[in-house]
Amino acid sequence: MKQPDGLKDIARRPGQPLALVAPNDQTPLPPPFDRVDEDPPIRPLSETARSAYAVLDDTIAVNIERPKTEDEEQALVEAFLSGLAKLFSVPDNWTFLQPLEMSMEHCARCQTCSEACHIFEESGGNELYRPTFRSEILRRIYFKYVKKASPLVHGDIDLNWETVARLIELAYRCNLCRRCAQTCPIGVDNALLSREIRKIASQEMGIAPRELHRDGSVLQLAVGSSTGMTPLVVKDNIEFIDEDTAERTGLAIKTPWDVVGADILLIHNAGEIMSWPENPGAFATVFTAAGLSWTMSSEITAYDAINYGVWYDDIQFARVAVHHAAAARRLGVRKIVLGECGHAHKALTVIADKVLTGDLNIPRESGLVLLRDIVRSGKIAFDTSRNDFPVTLHDPCNMVRLMGLVSPQREIIDAVVPEARFREMAPHGVDNYCCGGGSGFAIMSGHNFADWRHHVSGRRKFRQILEAFADEPMTQDHPKYVCAPCSNCKGQIRDIITYYDAWEKAGIYYGGLVELVVNAMVDAKPGFIDWEWH
Amino acid sequence: MPTFEYGGVTLAVDEDGFMQEPDRWNQAVAAALATTEGVNALTDNHWKVVNYLREYYLQFGVAPMIRKLCKQTGFSLKEIYEMFPSGPAKGACKVAGLPKPTGCV
Repeated sequence: MKQPDGLKDIARRPGQPLALVAPNDQTPLPPPFDRVDEDPPIRPLSETARSAYAVLDDTIAVNIERPKTEDEEQALVEAFLSGLAKLFSVPDNWTFLQPLEMSMEHCARCQTCSEACHIFEESGGNELYRPTFRSEILRRIYFKYVKKASPLVHGDIDLNWETVARLIELAYRCNLCRRCAQTCPIGVDNALLSREIRKIASQEMGIAPRELHRDGSVLQLAVGSSTGMTPLVVKDNIEFIDEDTAERTGLAIKTPWDVVGADILLIHNAGEIMSWPENPGAFATVFTAAGLSWTMSSEITAYDAINYGVWYDDIQFARVAVHHAAAARRLGVRKIVLGECGHAHKALTVIADKVLTGDLNIPRESGLVLLRDIVRSGKIAFDTSRNDFPVTLHDPCNMVRLMGLVSPQREIIDAVVPEARFREMAPHGVDNYCCGGGSGFAIMSGHNFADWRHHVSGRRKFRQILEAFADEPMTQDHPKYVCAPCSNCKGQIRDIITYYDAWEKAGIYYGGLVELVVNAMVDAKPGFIDWEWH
Repeated sequence: MPTFEYGGVTLAVDEDGFMQEPDRWNQAVAAALATTEGVNALTDNHWKVVNYLREYYLQFGVAPMIRKLCKQTGFSLKEIYEMFPSGPAKGACKVAGLPKPTGCV
């Protein structure tokens, strides 16, 4: 196994990868994917990319261009130190200073967190991916170069262009799932530290993955959605979805737009509208059947729940959160309800509490809780036999670990899926594993990054899915449903299924939660879930 | 920025092979980009998909929903994957000269 000999390697061997993950380093998957020689290989990074950008391992997420002069090298280091110092100033970082200081000061180096990390474990225990590897480098830089403390106390580290560029890349080898923070006896949050590094890079240095910044939050604030949909396009698409869904279910729906005084403003991750239209269609069907007073907003940013800032930038985060709340305020709704999107839950229901004050602090609720209330209300009749196939449930980290949102999705499944057909993953609930696409990875696929994402960060989830269905025939004519109530998780699970050809080889299919609800509605035509792969 | 060359066509592309200057698209460019999808000759059916994507993009500045593409062209998703093995977003859109899809899609 190629891996760093120690923390100090981060500054050494410029332009050379510090780690490589080879199939033989990894624990084989369960059958029918247990043949290591049949594992799709991680394609090597191209020579062009390797010579153009910072090299950490054998993939690239951020594209940090190699410097042409010594001045450029020095400028990057200085910008990083300047940003690092700001993280510890109250006016600059009042939002996250307290947990940051705790995580910087109190790690006991016990390594309990390492076993909790799916990336470290599934890499075969590669030191580069140990959750404390990047945290400890950040600590040493901080104590030695910002606080000017003795390296004899806090440990030594060399600081050069390679150190900084690689540390930023390494902040994008963490899904920000916070499973390490959960298991830490002290509560040290390595994911928070990863995000603080991303934050320095973006806010102080103008460095961020293009998918998250230029093509993500910037595009959302400019045209209305990270998908590029303008208000005109999103309304046209929703009209199409209403008609298409009605054809499938036999139940007429008309999504309301910009209704002043509605009870609920529903905000979907707009990726659902583009790629999984059955999801917004199913929400509209259920809301209509339940007789809710609801609306969507066609205001720019307010028809896309995404807020990629939670992954890398507080300013972009706050801009989007305020837009969401302001749209709700203008409509005078009683609450905002979020569709099946994990990071939007984190953004608007949790982190936004720090920035939304006064009349912007409108109640926000998970769509899963509302769906649970609808299912419980008895207004809709369900026939569980419509969902007579094996089902397992993926828990999005931002819902379970961050919010403790565990039972509503299970109550829903209990009402619409035959009891004998549902099985939990192990572990699940607040102890779940990330899908491997968390923190933006699911939409990042430059160079060979998707191979790394499927092979390393997504491997534990695929393993869990296979284990959950181990008692079922693993063939295509015996279809199985992975329910993933989050757009990002769904994208990642779709990509893993594609990568391993798991629909053709094992009959593994995926979708959201509300689709199972509509699929079981007695009043709807059967077959809403159509198992159409390609 | 990588470049893509095929026949007489030279284009600036991103890491995934999507062309960076959509205004430079024409039929020869489409035919050249199609070779990256393993398609050496574009049939009438390929053109039906490509032209729909192109026209929608020019009108709305974004790719159409995949289901809309299927409904408007009359092809199933499976048939589109048979024509463009990387699928409608990463394959057909690339050939039609659209930028790489953005957001959680």
